[in-house]
Amino acid sequence: MTTMAEPAAGGAARQAAGLPRLLPTAPGQDLRAHLARHGPVPYRGGAGLLIPDVRAAGLTGRGGAAFPTHRKLAIVAAARGRKVVVGNGAESEPASRKDAVLLRDAPHLVLDGLQLAAEAAGAAEAVLYLHRGEHRALLRALAERHAAGVDRLPVAVAEAPPRFLAGQETALVSRIGGGPALPTFGLPRVSQRGVAGAPTCVQNVETLAHLALIARYGPRWFRAAGTAAEPGTMLTTTYEAAADGETRCLVAEAPIGTPLADLLPGLAGAQALLVGGFHGTWLPAHRAAALTLDNETLGRHGAALGAGVLAALPDDRCGLTEAARVTWYLAAESAGQCGPCLNGLPRIAAAMAELAGPRPRGNTRRDAERWAGLVTGRGACHHPDGTARFVRSALVTFGPELSRHSRGQCSARGRRPFLPLPDGVPTTDDDWM
Amino acid sequence: MTGSTAFWYASRATGIVALLLLTAVLVLGLLITRQGRLPGLPRFAVTGLHRNLSLLAVAFIAVHVLAAVLDSYVSIPLASAVVPFASGYERLWLGLGAIAFDLMLAMIVTSLVRGRLNRALWRAVHLLAYLSWPVALAHSMGSSRDLQHGPMLDVSVACLVIVAAAVIWRLAGAARQVPRAGRVADVMARHDAATRYGRAREGSWR
Repeated sequence: MTTMAEPAAGGAARQAAGLPRLLPTAPGQDLRAHLARHGPVPYRGGAGLLIPDVRAAGLTGRGGAAFPTHRKLAIVAAARGRKVVVGNGAESEPASRKDAVLLRDAPHLVLDGLQLAAEAAGAAEAVLYLHRGEHRALLRALAERHAAGVDRLPVAVAEAPPRFLAGQETALVSRIGGGPALPTFGLPRVSQRGVAGAPTCVQNVETLAHLALIARYGPRWFRAAGTAAEPGTMLTTTYEAAADGETRCLVAEAPIGTPLADLLPGLAGAQALLVGGFHGTWLPAHRAAALTLDNETLGRHGAALGAGVLAALPDDRCGLTEAARVTWYLAAESAGQCGPCLNGLPRIAAAMAELAGPRPRGNTRRDAERWAGLVTGRGACHHPDGTARFVRSALVTFGPELSRHSRGQCSARGRRPFLPLPDGVPTTDDDWM
Repeated sequence: MTGSTAFWYASRATGIVALLLLTAVLVLGLLITRQGRLPGLPRFAVTGLHRNLSLLAVAFIAVHVLAAVLDSYVSIPLASAVVPFASGYERLWLGLGAIAFDLMLAMIVTSLVRGRLNRALWRAVHLLAYLSWPVALAHSMGSSRDLQHGPMLDVSVACLVIVAAAVIWRLAGAARQVPRAGRVADVMARHDAATRYGRAREGSWR
C-alpha cells in the first residue's frame, strides 16, 4: 500500500546548489566511488581537533532532539578513561525511513563520520546500532573498508529490536550492554556513564554523515545551505496521497528553511500535516502550507522537526481514525516501566478510539485532554510527553471532525489507513532484545 | 533523678524510640513497590518518609550509644558500638546491637552514593535490612529486661506483628505481579482499546 519512492537525485538547480549532499547522485556507490567523490577520510590526528569546526558549522543532532553535536563530542572528549562512540541507525519511528535510505545509499559517509567522531571524542570503541535486516549491506561496507585500511578503529555492529523506544539513547546503551532495549532514568547521563559504564557519545547516523562532510569541506561550506540559526540540510521522509489513492513515501534531502509546500506539492489540497512523526504535532494544512522546514518557525506553532517526518493527510481520510491508530500503537509500545505511561497511555488510546467512532460520550474528549496533561513529564523517557503532544494536537486540529462524529457523521470517504504502522506489539521480554 | 540515672534513662528511651523508628522505616521500605502506595500519599512521599525516618533513627541510635557509654554504672567501651562483641558487659546482646548498627551504616552509605553504584549492588546491600531489623530487635529484647514483660513487651510484639504483616503483603504482591513485558498488554486489555478500536473502524458507521 505504501510505495517507497526513490530519493529525488535530479534537478539541475539542486545539483548546482550542491544538493543532495548526503545521498549519492547515482545508486550503488562502493568505497571506490565514495572516495572518488569525497576524497580520503580527513583524520585530524588527535582528540578534540575536529570539534571547533563542528561548532562553527552549527551542526545539530538529526535524530530528533537537535542537540548541538559539538557539545556532545566535547563532553566525552573531556572525560577520562575508556570512551565509546555509537552511531545510532535504529530509527524507531515507523514513519521515518531516512536513516534506512542513508545507510543503504551512503554507508561509507556514515562510517567516515563514525571514525571521525570517535577520533574527535578520543574514543577507543566504535559501535553501529542497527535494525535487523540492515546488517548485511553495512557488514559488506565494513569489510570493504577493512580491506582498504580506511578505518582506524574496528566497528562493532549491535542489533536493535523493532520497538518504538529502541533508538532512545538510554535504551540503546542498555541493549549494546547486552540487556533489553528499555529506557532507563536519565542520570547519570550517557555521556558520563554509557555503554559498560564508559562515557558514550551517541550520534544519529545522519548527523555522522554531515560530520564527515564538514570535516572535508569546512563549516563555511556547511552553512551555505540552511538558515543562520539552523544551518545545513536535512533528510526528510514525506507522505502524500498519490492520484491513485495510494500513500506515497519519499525520502529527500532539503536545506533547512525550505518552504513545506515545496516538499509536499499536494499540501494545499490536503487536510492536515503531521510534523515530526508519532511524537510530533498535527497542524491544519492551510496553516502548514505557509511554514518553512525549521524549528524556529515550526516552534512558533507548537511543532518541531523531530527526525524529519512530514505526513500530509489527504481530505478523504478521517484524522481521528489515524490519530487513534497511532495512539493505540504508542500505548502498546510503552516500556511498561513508569506508572503514568503504563496506565495512562492505554486509557488515552481507548478514549481516542471512542472519539474515532460514531457518537462518542460527551466527556471523552475532555478526559483524553486531561489524561494527556497528567502523563506529561512523568516518565523516565519522553514517551508519555511525545504521545500527549500528538494526541492534544490531533484533538485541536481535528476539532471540526470531532463535532461531526458527535452527530454520527464522518467526513472520510475511504477507510484505508494512511500512516504506516508495524504489526506486532511486544508481549515478552525477548521482544525487547 | 541523679546524673548517673539520667544517662541510663536516656539510653533506654532513645533505644526504644529507635526501635519504633526502625520498624516504621522497614515497613515503609516494604511498601515501596511499583504498584504499592499508601492511601493519600504520593509515591515519592513514601520514599522521602522512608529516607528521613531512617536518618532520624540513626540520630536516636547515636544518642542511645553515647548515653550507654557515658553511663558510669557499667563500663561499655565506645568501640563496642561498631565492633561486635567488644563489650564485657552483656557481650552477646550488645554485640548484636553493633552488628545491626553496622548493617544500617552499610545501607546508609550505599544509599548516599547510590548514583555512583550499580543498582544490583545497592539492592543487595539494602536487602540486609531484613537481617538488620531482627538483629536489632533481638538486641533490644535481650539487653533490656523492661522489654521482656509488661506494656513494653506488648510494644515489641506489636512491632514484630506489623513487620510480619508487611512482609506477607510484599510477598503476596510479588506473586501477583505481572511480568514487565506483559504489563502493557494487560492494561490495554482492561481498557479494551484494541477491540473497541476494531469495532469502531469496521462497520459501525454504516
